[in-house]
Amino acid sequence: MSCPELLRTQAYLDGELDGVAAREAERHIETCTECQQTSADTAQLSDAIRSAITPHRAPEALRARVSAALDDEAAPKVLPFKRRNFWYGALSGAGAMAAAASVAFMLVLPPSAETLAQSITDDHTSALTSGNLIQIASSSHHVVKPWFAGKVDVSPPTPDFPDRNFVLTGGRVDQVAGSRAAVVVYKHGRHVIDLFVWPDKGSVLPGNATRHGYHSIFWKSGDLNFAAVSDTERRELEKFVGLIRSSPE
Amino acid sequence: MDQRRRQFEAQALPHLDAAYNLARWLSRSPAEAEDIVQDAMLRAWRAFDGFRGGDIKPWLLAIVRNCWRSASADTRRRKHTALPEEYDEPLLSDEPSPEAAVATASEARRLNEVIALLPNEFREVLILREMEDLSYREIADVTGVPIGTVMSRLARARALLKEKWLRDQT
Repeated sequence: MSCPELLRTQAYLDGELDGVAAREAERHIETCTECQQTSADTAQLSDAIRSAITPHRAPEALRARVSAALDDEAAPKVLPFKRRNFWYGALSGAGAMAAAASVAFMLVLPPSAETLAQSITDDHTSALTSGNLIQIASSSHHVVKPWFAGKVDVSPPTPDFPDRNFVLTGGRVDQVAGSRAAVVVYKHGRHVIDLFVWPDKGSVLPGNATRHGYHSIFWKSGDLNFAAVSDTERRELEKFVGLIRSSPE
Repeated sequence: MDQRRRQFEAQALPHLDAAYNLARWLSRSPAEAEDIVQDAMLRAWRAFDGFRGGDIKPWLLAIVRNCWRSASADTRRRKHTALPEEYDEPLLSDEPSPEAAVATASEARRLNEVIALLPNEFREVLILREMEDLSYREIADVTGVPIGTVMSRLARARALLKEKWLRDQT
């Protein structure tokens, strides 16, 4: 039990390798008796598990329970009722003034969520193409975080997740919705992820968007607005957002 | 039924068996497994807006695993000891394929026991790999550990199985 290539052999057997890596693993197995034994054992175990053990199937009663639980969840709660009351109130008598005022309010409210989604993506792509992506290059949050002090009004989180392949790379200052935003830059494989952080002044954030192949995810936390933008797969970007949101900072 | 519910059911319900199978192997109890899966499906439904595209199966199984962990933490708090309770159940499919004929009922039972008694961190990677056919990346996502850890745990799980089961066969 000592061949240093054992994990690679296993990865080959599990179909995790292709191309050159797979051929290298094959060549090694041809010459290593230990890995040959491992291959035989792994195949035998795998066959035994697949043939002898029938995966458990969800009982019908469970399906019914899940369905009923979802029905309970989906049953309309107070919210739609309240909203309807608001509009009834707003449109009746004295409420008309309030309605007119709120329409005017919406008209002057800068910027719209859609503009915001576009400007964030534009900021990201122009930073990528202008070579101004990173103003402070460092993979240490002890360097990146203090660098923002005095340049922007916010102190962004700068956690690093090298073991999840989201690597802190640096930072820059950019403009978002008329505010100076801290942008923390991460690398994910060959993709760049920009994490925008700017003060929340009550603006409405867009839903998650995809523009020209760039995904963006927006959220609020405390008195800050956040947006993550990248051309990586949406699922990967969601993972990244999950890590940022659950990091203790 | 609204659009969101239809989408959720179309995507998530096909994996209900996988969710139950994982919950069952983790908890080793049919009753607990049902509670875990119901809890997981509700949490998945509430979090569904945060899920966009990609393969839903690893996402769902990660929630199942989290529900199992919080359920077993509760169990420990109540000072119950969870004992495996399923060995008297039929372990073989009703209609074994011709290929399956190699495994006798007693071999299957023994294999089942050996897997059920593996330590949690080895049992879960083995189930996800051999029964649910997840990739290393997906197993890492479900279990929340780096891929390297998945690989070494899988190797360890197989070595333990080999030691406890395979060598008895020959």
